[in-house]
Amino acid sequence: MLKRLLLAGAASLALSAGAQACAFENETEVSILSAGFEAWKAVTDAMIECGNVNAELDQEFRQKQPAAFAANPSLYTLGGVSNGTITPLLNEGTIRPLDDLIEKYGQNLSPNQLIQIDGHTMAVAMMVNTQHMMYREDIFADLGLDVPGTWDEVLEAAETIKAAGVVEYPLGVTMKSGWNIAQDFNNMFLGYGGTFVNADSTPNVNTEAGLNALDMMKRLTEYADPEYLVSDSTYVQQQFQQGKIAMANLWASRGGAMDDPSESQVVGKVGAAAAPLAMEGGAPATTLWWDGIVVAANISDEEADAAFRVAMEGLDEEMVKANSDAAIWLVSGYEPSKLAQGAIATATAQPAPSSYPSTSQMGLMHTAIGNELPAFFTGDRSAEDTLAAIEEAYTTAAEEAGLLQ
Amino acid sequence: MSTPKALQQPLTLKLASNAFLIFWLLLAVFPLFWILAMSFKSPVDAFSSSALDVVIGPETLSRGNGLSALDIIFGVVVLWVSARLAMRWLMPMAAGDGLIQRVFSWLVACLGFGLLFVAVFFFLLPWVLGPLNDIAGPLGRPVLGLTTEHYNAVWVENEFWRNFSNSLIVTAGVVTISLTVGTLAGYGLARSGSNLAFWILVIALVFRALPPTVLVAGYLPAFVNSAEILRPWLGENAPTLYGQPLAVIAVLASINQPFTIWMLRSFFQNIPTDLDEAARVDGCTHFQAFRWVIMPVMWPGVITTGLFSFLLAYNDFLVTSLLLDQSNQTMVPAIAGYFNRETTTTDQVEAVAAAVSITAPLFLLVMVFQRQIVSGLTAGAVKG
Amino acid sequence: MKFRTFAMFVGPSIFLMVLFIAAPLVSVFLQSFQITQPVVEMQEVETCTAGFLTQTCTTETKTVPKLDEFGNIVTTTEWVGLLSYQRVLQLDAVGAAISSGNWGDILNIDFWKALRFTLTFTLITLPFVIGMGLAIAMVVNNATKSMKGPVIFVSLLPFIITPVIGALSIRWLFYGDGIVTVWLEALFDTNLSVAANGWAVEFLMMFYRVWHVAPFAFVIFYAGLQTVNQDTLESAIIDGASRFDRLRYVIVPHLMPLIVFITLIHLMDAYRAFEEVVGFSSQAQRITLQWLTYDLLQPDDAGNRAISRASASAMLTMIGIVIILMPPLRRTWRDHKGG
Repeated sequence: MLKRLLLAGAASLALSAGAQACAFENETEVSILSAGFEAWKAVTDAMIECGNVNAELDQEFRQKQPAAFAANPSLYTLGGVSNGTITPLLNEGTIRPLDDLIEKYGQNLSPNQLIQIDGHTMAVAMMVNTQHMMYREDIFADLGLDVPGTWDEVLEAAETIKAAGVVEYPLGVTMKSGWNIAQDFNNMFLGYGGTFVNADSTPNVNTEAGLNALDMMKRLTEYADPEYLVSDSTYVQQQFQQGKIAMANLWASRGGAMDDPSESQVVGKVGAAAAPLAMEGGAPATTLWWDGIVVAANISDEEADAAFRVAMEGLDEEMVKANSDAAIWLVSGYEPSKLAQGAIATATAQPAPSSYPSTSQMGLMHTAIGNELPAFFTGDRSAEDTLAAIEEAYTTAAEEAGLLQ
Repeated sequence: MSTPKALQQPLTLKLASNAFLIFWLLLAVFPLFWILAMSFKSPVDAFSSSALDVVIGPETLSRGNGLSALDIIFGVVVLWVSARLAMRWLMPMAAGDGLIQRVFSWLVACLGFGLLFVAVFFFLLPWVLGPLNDIAGPLGRPVLGLTTEHYNAVWVENEFWRNFSNSLIVTAGVVTISLTVGTLAGYGLARSGSNLAFWILVIALVFRALPPTVLVAGYLPAFVNSAEILRPWLGENAPTLYGQPLAVIAVLASINQPFTIWMLRSFFQNIPTDLDEAARVDGCTHFQAFRWVIMPVMWPGVITTGLFSFLLAYNDFLVTSLLLDQSNQTMVPAIAGYFNRETTTTDQVEAVAAAVSITAPLFLLVMVFQRQIVSGLTAGAVKG
Repeated sequence: MKFRTFAMFVGPSIFLMVLFIAAPLVSVFLQSFQITQPVVEMQEVETCTAGFLTQTCTTETKTVPKLDEFGNIVTTTEWVGLLSYQRVLQLDAVGAAISSGNWGDILNIDFWKALRFTLTFTLITLPFVIGMGLAIAMVVNNATKSMKGPVIFVSLLPFIITPVIGALSIRWLFYGDGIVTVWLEALFDTNLSVAANGWAVEFLMMFYRVWHVAPFAFVIFYAGLQTVNQDTLESAIIDGASRFDRLRYVIVPHLMPLIVFITLIHLMDAYRAFEEVVGFSSQAQRITLQWLTYDLLQPDDAGNRAISRASASAMLTMIGIVIILMPPLRRTWRDHKGG
């Protein structure tokens, strides 16, 4: 035990010796509020090496970020956002355009990292996330199955695996009620060519695409653990690691965990492919997400300068090299591992999956879907009634938010 | 006191009573024992569907983390002896005279005891047992998978002690403020028979019943912008209350007020009015009577009420997660941080280890104060 | 006691409660009759987002809130009467369900679903909490003296543990291939999926609540048992009262004020149940009133919150609490008048 403590101490010393990794000595107070997952830990750790950086990786950032950035002066200089959570900051005008800062410090950024609104760069993306099909290569080889390219093929493969009885459940689904199940529906709905809202903000989910999506999801659940309404990505990942399921359409950021020997019993047996198509000739049934950094508007230019410079140190090649498994990085120098290939195939598919729409309407729609869908899966409501209920819940919320009259 | 014959129980009743007791104790302790067992295993074992695997931990063992029979025997002996000593030494120390001194000396004693225990259990014991295991043959071979890596990750790598000390600050603040304010109010309410007092109590009861989520969401914008809001009065020194432990202490103490004043009022009602009336006849003001007559006899009630305040503050999630920033984060929200959208199985086991860690001080507290809880409640809080 | 003195004793407490409870409550009350909206306008926006290799740029019409010259969003606040209440209660849907005879449809509306579960949850756990608490208190009182300390200590554990952690510790035993589920499956030779079954989840949530609160009832009853008048007990024995009669006519009446006290506390706490929904992720199957308010207040990714509906739902919850508290309050009023 003592030895381990000493080792830990030595390791932290070694880390602080690596503090020279930051190209400059930061003298201005810089603080960042972001979500708390692995990739943010990697980036903020690299930023902290510059000195005078206070990083907050907070689970409640969704609630805190808009309020904290609206304060004057802003409580944080930097923010970590995704294409969903940037919306309130943009709407309230609490983040600043970054064009001049990028000109000054952003030589290493590649053009596709720049998130532009009306020609102004408002955020710098660091990673993308999307879904990919993970499957057990050994089981697929034994049963002579091809990797499914469409959801119908997924059903066929699941039937074969079920008949062979090699695993408890052929399929894992991330359908925990609320945010997760809504995201699964969104993916499938877009895969069937649906659009969520019309140009006048009225809802548009009670359509052919909506029915198709619900039908496919319902058929998928027949091959999944009956407790799917409480299974989130963590649970599915765990089932995968324990060898209880043979395939699942999971977040790209979940890939690395399958080959983690301390958790997984299926190390080296898992392959990844692009997310399946819902219909022939369509895009993969998924959405593209990005995570990135924004700079607060309500701070002085000097502070913004220092903050952006620190942020660039956080997004350098060195950090990516050391954490290549943590995400699908957009930063130059990233070398994707075997399990990242599926996500990259998804993201580069033709036609490409659309990016998750960052609008107020989508936020309301996501909540409405997440709240109303479970009744369909517990059998309390028909598909048509469920879609109608989603539209009704969305309409109420949109009227309350002033988006609909 | 010898039991009258008629009160003696037939054997069957005694057996049934004890059987029920054992059933309840198992029920009470099993889920907690289970998370304790999980926290010492590698993630594969911890979430295994075989109960035996969770207890024995084959996967943990195969990674070279295990205890031999010898380790277990020595460990259990040290644990048992220290538990006995804790009960014998520490408990009486909390039951002396002079509250402030008592609490202080008791805290020092506890701290010293805790340090001693850590030194013996985590350093001395492994140091002695290492060579012993090598020469003990089959007894020295590891049989039980057990790893402290998650505790190490939580306390050393994730610096959980920061959250621990933040929790202590918040909890101590809440207990102090809600008791100080609550004792005064409880006494006032108990001694005033006016309708106003009654309605204050009724409204407090309704406040007690309010779902806290309703209130909490309103705090955030006010706290974040407090510097701007307070500037007209406080000038440039106006503080940003968001992230300040003091602000959270005030909020929690207020949310806790209704329960505190109800509890304490019923204690004071059971202290005979004659006591302070006699003092008043001797020329004391209400405050003097309170200070010199009531305070010396109110401690059982205050300790019991204080324990409930402690539990509320220590276990709070809604207020602390929203109003504190990372550097002042308390333990419960910190644990919730392990369960986010990107959680891995390892994170979950670390969360379990953290959860076990935060339960330990509660253990100690109840172990020490259980007699006070019962006697405090007997003294009158329970008379509604 | 003079009013001035009384005010000085009670003042600090009142101040805290007014500032941090009453003031937010008043604002919640007002917000439940108001709707505050940003003034939005339609704008053509060109957005370029990140792809893995290339950017994708799209031009679309977006609704964007207007900003004033200080950069704050322009909002309008309207008094809307009972509109938010109507949106929570959805009385027209209730009426439709009743007139069409599909009573079950009412339970598809969030508020009524939550109310149904919250009431069942509160009322079913109540007798179990009191019964278990009383039973444990009696057997502990009956135990050997040297065992009492440790036994009380162990019995209190479920009460002191952080609620969400307690709920999770029970969840892990049952959900998925939790070990208790595995045992039950082996025992009955079936395949169980606890979380897939609404009633099983409901039962588990109630079980957790009883497990968590029974120790509180226990310790209060146990304290009460210490003060049972031995003389009354002995005279009951002389009168030939059986063991059960003594329990019924001496002990229970003695504990009656405590039973009322625990009932009161339990009604209040169970009615605002929240941790169970989070701990057992039961929102697909069962939700509680406080969870409903919480859910309406949680901002989505775009930062929208249904504040007006949340306020209305909170006020409705509060009305329910006042109704539940009415009988014990009337008793307190009588005591107050009588004393």
